[in-house]
Amino acid sequence: MQPGSTELAFVSVLIVLGLVVPLVLAASRTKGARTLAVALILVSCLAGCFVAALGFWRGSGFLLTFSGVTPFPFSLTIDRLSAFFLLLICTVAAPVAIFAFTYFDHHYGEQRRNWMWAFFSLFLLSMIVVVAASSGFAFLVGWELMTLLSAGLILMEGDSAERRHNVLIYLLMMHAGAAAVVASFFLFLPYSHSLDFGAIRAAGALVPAGIRILIFLLAFVGFGTKAGIIPLHLWLPRAHPIAPSPVSALMSGVMLKTAVYGFVRFTFYFLAGGPWWSGYLVLLVGAVSGLLGVLYAIAEHDLKRLLAYHSVENIGIIYLGLGTSLLFLAHHAPIWAALALIAALLHTFNHALFKSLLFLGAGSISHATHTVDLEELGGLQRRMPVTGTAFLIACCSIVGLPLFNGFISEWLTFRSFLAGSILTNTKAQIILPLMVGILALIGGLAAACFVKVFGVAFLGRPRSAEAEQAIEVPVPMRVGMAALAAACLLIGILPGLLLRPLASLCQVLIPGAGVPKEILMIARIIPWTAAVVLGAMALTALFKRAQKKVPTWACGLPQLTSRMQYTSTAFSKPIRFVFSAVYRPDRKIDRLPADQPYFPASISYRSARTTSYEKTLYRPFVDFIVAAAHRLRRLQTGNIQVYLLYIFLTLVSLLVYLRFVR
Amino acid sequence: MKIAINLLQALILILGAPLLRGIIGRIKAWIQRRQGASIWSPYADLVKLFRKEDLVPPSASWVFRFAPRVLFGTAVCVAAFVPVVQPSALLASRGDFFLLAYLLALGRFFLSLGGMDGGSALGGMGASREALISSLAEAPFLLGLVAVAILAGHADIAGMVAWTLRQNIFNISAVHILAFTSLAMVVIAETGRMPVDNPTTHLELTMIHEAMVLEYSGPSLALVESASAIKFHTMVALLIALFAPWGMATSVSVWSIAAALLLYFLKAAVLMGLLAVVESGVAKLRMYLVPDFLGVASAVSALAVIFTMLAKR
Repeated sequence: MQPGSTELAFVSVLIVLGLVVPLVLAASRTKGARTLAVALILVSCLAGCFVAALGFWRGSGFLLTFSGVTPFPFSLTIDRLSAFFLLLICTVAAPVAIFAFTYFDHHYGEQRRNWMWAFFSLFLLSMIVVVAASSGFAFLVGWELMTLLSAGLILMEGDSAERRHNVLIYLLMMHAGAAAVVASFFLFLPYSHSLDFGAIRAAGALVPAGIRILIFLLAFVGFGTKAGIIPLHLWLPRAHPIAPSPVSALMSGVMLKTAVYGFVRFTFYFLAGGPWWSGYLVLLVGAVSGLLGVLYAIAEHDLKRLLAYHSVENIGIIYLGLGTSLLFLAHHAPIWAALALIAALLHTFNHALFKSLLFLGAGSISHATHTVDLEELGGLQRRMPVTGTAFLIACCSIVGLPLFNGFISEWLTFRSFLAGSILTNTKAQIILPLMVGILALIGGLAAACFVKVFGVAFLGRPRSAEAEQAIEVPVPMRVGMAALAAACLLIGILPGLLLRPLASLCQVLIPGAGVPKEILMIARIIPWTAAVVLGAMALTALFKRAQKKVPTWACGLPQLTSRMQYTSTAFSKPIRFVFSAVYRPDRKIDRLPADQPYFPASISYRSARTTSYEKTLYRPFVDFIVAAAHRLRRLQTGNIQVYLLYIFLTLVSLLVYLRFVR
Repeated sequence: MKIAINLLQALILILGAPLLRGIIGRIKAWIQRRQGASIWSPYADLVKLFRKEDLVPPSASWVFRFAPRVLFGTAVCVAAFVPVVQPSALLASRGDFFLLAYLLALGRFFLSLGGMDGGSALGGMGASREALISSLAEAPFLLGLVAVAILAGHADIAGMVAWTLRQNIFNISAVHILAFTSLAMVVIAETGRMPVDNPTTHLELTMIHEAMVLEYSGPSLALVESASAIKFHTMVALLIALFAPWGMATSVSVWSIAAALLLYFLKAAVLMGLLAVVESGVAKLRMYLVPDFLGVASAVSALAVIFTMLAKR
């Protein structure tokens, strides 16, 4: 391999995604142009995978500096961490693009389709810039573009007052988060004298303790907003469900991961660990996000909202791993810190695969039945076998069942919790093993939720005419889903493929960490387990007898109807009942007429779940801002003389400051 | 030789599973002053079911037919994790209890889906109830095992058993008592025994596990039944191996293996006797009292984990 050719490949990926694809789409609205554009995106993704694979497996990185042609220092690099996230983006984006090729054609008119694809391509570019950035400016440019382009993609789906409101909330929260990220970058500036990542890392040790805490907290809040940790998750269940399904797949599967990337880059690469309590903070937030995320998800019956809440849950699991790692770092146990970090990063990758697959599945369902309301679905497995099977694989993966990829990362997280018992610090020694219980509860509830999702949507009898008449989606959509499902299975059965390079990556991030023996253990035991399970299953084929179709027993009624099946709401009722303290259901029963309670002419029943975040957390904050703005308005008289006075006063005070204070 | 014994252990757990059910049934019958069926009758039932034809609901997809096989495959795999006569097992040296617990979850996940594929109200009801119980049982199960693992300093089941085997029988700590309590409660809930679920019920509205498998028949039902029996036997063997392993063969000789085997059957019989007494004496819990039952198990297991700190000093 010629030196320099990986750089060339990477630069051409950037140029193709950023320039060629939009130009092709702008030039012509024919199907041919669009096919060419999609093919270019696919080739770029493959080239990106290739560059990332070289960087990730071989550790061959490079640095590209564009500072000569840009007005500010702009440089991109591929080190192992960037390569890992580049691999994630490109691996997920390629199947999503194949899926979207048919999906966009079916759902949007001529003109909008081209816009969609152009934004899609630029959105990919912005995410690649974020993870490959090697200077603060490059990172922030990518970060901002990513937010705006995803908002554009959401708005392109349709235009209504509600949608605009949701997008507004999305943009507001993203910019509040971005402000925190900018601030944490600038706090490094007095010590590093540049925003180059290398300089920042070198300065990491020079930053005084107080500023370190501030940087950590700002990065935590800034990236946490993007990641959707509770209580900063407010935008997530609003923005993800209203985006077109392939875009939801990218937003949930990939865009959230850039926040994990940013957090890891800041806390591990720049700061080399946070203050001693940082691990506890991240663990707490992870546990709360994981538990509440899955509990909110169970109560949903809109499939895409449900999946959005599961993103909150999985980000919670990732943060559990990150928090454990920080805790081990604070207690000088680098090898266990590496294990927990490997678990978190692997879960990041796994979540990207299965969550994008789930959103593509939701897209297929809405393509076939024009709804994603679980109560209207049912019996789709027989009508859409490929979609159903791929979706089932994704369900098993997200639940963390063995032989599927989610298990590997959850297992590693469990083992790093268990390793906490070797610490000498009493607090950590008790809290970490108890976290096993939290993660087990999250896993158990996730299993309940996905039995509900798959059972209600794909099994049993159809609950509506649309579901009854559903047919399998076109081939490209099936191919996109099958590719992601295959990736889930591959990592689930041969986890060593990713684990070994991840261990090398963690040695870069955590100095002094060796290769934890747990990753070798899981890589060895899983294929054996798979062999035993599949062998025993093959054995059962011996007991095959003639099959006969007979109607389901109907308790003596003439026949069953689809309305007799358990619905999504009914299925989750026991769990909602047990955890009613979390949901605080708001029920209202109206009997009419009111003066005859025992002989009502009509009874209406309404039940709503109140999410109290807006009321108790955000409303007071917004009220405070509005009140403060009202106060400040007195300064703005609109009188030009007063403004001149302000300028004069500012000038005088600055001069005084320069002359006497400094 | 060691591998041959490990294989033998897995076979004991798999083939001896229906016998355990027969013994419980016999003891229960004796307590209730009934004649009772032979202890071999579960085998006869399985043979009968395997010979029958498979009835499938019209709305069912491949998931319905596939689910019993997954359940059986995971049950067999789990049986390869648990030591019986010597402190090792086929997969026990590298496989830990997290993998064991999640393999059980894999089987349960598919069986719940199979229950929902029939398209009747009862399958959904069973799956929904099972989802509630198993989601709450996961945490106490793992925490109880975590407590033992911390004491033993090993996470693999073979290491945990070998550690307990080296301890003095009169030297057991509070951790062991707490962990055993919580695990025994979870095993009752997980394997669908009284007071959580009534395995002999014939009333659909009170069923949990039975409601889920209501639509299965013939070989599929036989697979489900034998998988549940294997799972139950494995859980019992796990409790014995973790909390009363004394008597296991530490050297490979025919006599020590035979003695260990005999002792294992005695221990299992005692445990079954206890279970039969409990099952005959208590009424099934109301559905919404089960979370309280599992809540107690969770609290006890969390205490067990916290107490490992004291035990280590």
